[in-house]
Amino acid sequence: MSDLLAVYQEHFAEWFPQLIEAAGNTLRMTVLAFILAVILGLLLALAKLSPIAPLRWFASGYIEVLRGIPVLAVLFLIYFGLADFGIIFDAFPAAVIGLGLSGAAYMAEIFRAGIESIHRGQMEAALTVGLTPMAAMRWVILPQALRVVLPPLANFGIALLKDTSVASIISAPELMLRARDLASSSFLPLEVFLLAAAIYLVMSLPVAFLTRRLEARFSRGQAHV
Amino acid sequence: MLFWDRLIENLPYFLEVLIPAAGMTVRIAAGAFVLAIVVGLILALLQTMKISLVNLIVRTYIEIVRGTPVLAQLFILYFGLTQVGIRFTPIQAAIIGLGFNGGAYLAEVFRSGIESIHRGQMESALTVGMTPIAAMRWVILPQAMTVVVPPTTNYSIALLKDTAVVSAVAAPEIMFKARNLVTETYLSAQIYLLVALMYLCMSLVLSWISRRLERRLAVSSATGDRSATFA
Repeated sequence: MSDLLAVYQEHFAEWFPQLIEAAGNTLRMTVLAFILAVILGLLLALAKLSPIAPLRWFASGYIEVLRGIPVLAVLFLIYFGLADFGIIFDAFPAAVIGLGLSGAAYMAEIFRAGIESIHRGQMEAALTVGLTPMAAMRWVILPQALRVVLPPLANFGIALLKDTSVASIISAPELMLRARDLASSSFLPLEVFLLAAAIYLVMSLPVAFLTRRLEARFSRGQAHV
Repeated sequence: MLFWDRLIENLPYFLEVLIPAAGMTVRIAAGAFVLAIVVGLILALLQTMKISLVNLIVRTYIEIVRGTPVLAQLFILYFGLTQVGIRFTPIQAAIIGLGFNGGAYLAEVFRSGIESIHRGQMESALTVGMTPIAAMRWVILPQAMTVVVPPTTNYSIALLKDTAVVSAVAAPEIMFKARNLVTETYLSAQIYLLVALMYLCMSLVLSWISRRLERRLAVSSATGDRSATFA
């Protein structure tokens, strides 16, 4: 234990700023992939609920396939596989696209469940008062579904934050990659990886606590209804 | 097209390497799954004892494990612990890392399952003279099963995919062997496509098994409910 402290006393000032800088990249990657996953996920959910059969088939197929494949395999396909066809990405955008495409399949199921949780009468009433189906979705269904969707959305965000560590395997510049570099240059993997893990923890715990409070509040609200 | 020609030409060789690797993936996933269930169940039962120090330790473990990436945990196990003289083989590190990681998730699943059983069940089991352990074993856990099975099977599918990450500690499973094949043949698109297909097949089989299991349990719990209302 005293060894551990001695190591940190010696190296903390050198490691910490580097890891924090890399953690900034981790956050950037998380946010960008999250946005991509939300947009694609919403489109997929709407496609899966649409009256047009081919759209439904496409959405179901996409969701089944992407949920059945590890995100690491998706990253390898995009980063190494597409290079064969002359489509070359840097590791960072490849990671954002891969995490986003893979996450969209999960988001789609969350959104679909959210939309379906809104009583059909809401849509019927909106159409009766003269809203178009699109407007009804936009102004009546989605705002109500948001409430249901928010807690799983936040949980997905936390999972995504941790999944970005996988992008280090295609050497995308983020926290885990920097930690691996520092571990191999200092020959002190235990101390470096513990510090990196602590930084992930500090990033994910506040979101996790907020989410749980949100969930508790929503379930209380529903109990009163 | 050249892409498909190359794939078909090399397919026997790829499969010869990747199918045993898929066996290793399944073995790692199965080992980690069993370990996760044991760890999760122990953590959940510890929490039902309502001893505040024990609770604090268990909660801390769960929060730390769930708040950090499994890749970081694997690196600490595999690279970090060698510094203090604890050496694991890649496969051991993979099973232990994924198992203890999954244990934290399953602990929450099992705890909510146990808590979902009405308190009266435990009280009446104790009243008829069962010990608390016997009551847990014969009364509470069998009923908690139906609540617990769907999230547990979902976890098993997530776990199967998470095994891909253990290629980073050189465990010889599909992803690791695939990367070796790519450095050998440079056919990255074909190999990773094949790998994705293999994972997809395995997940689809697993989710089909899960659905059947859930349906069977739903049927038996429906009949169970009926006898409960008669009582």
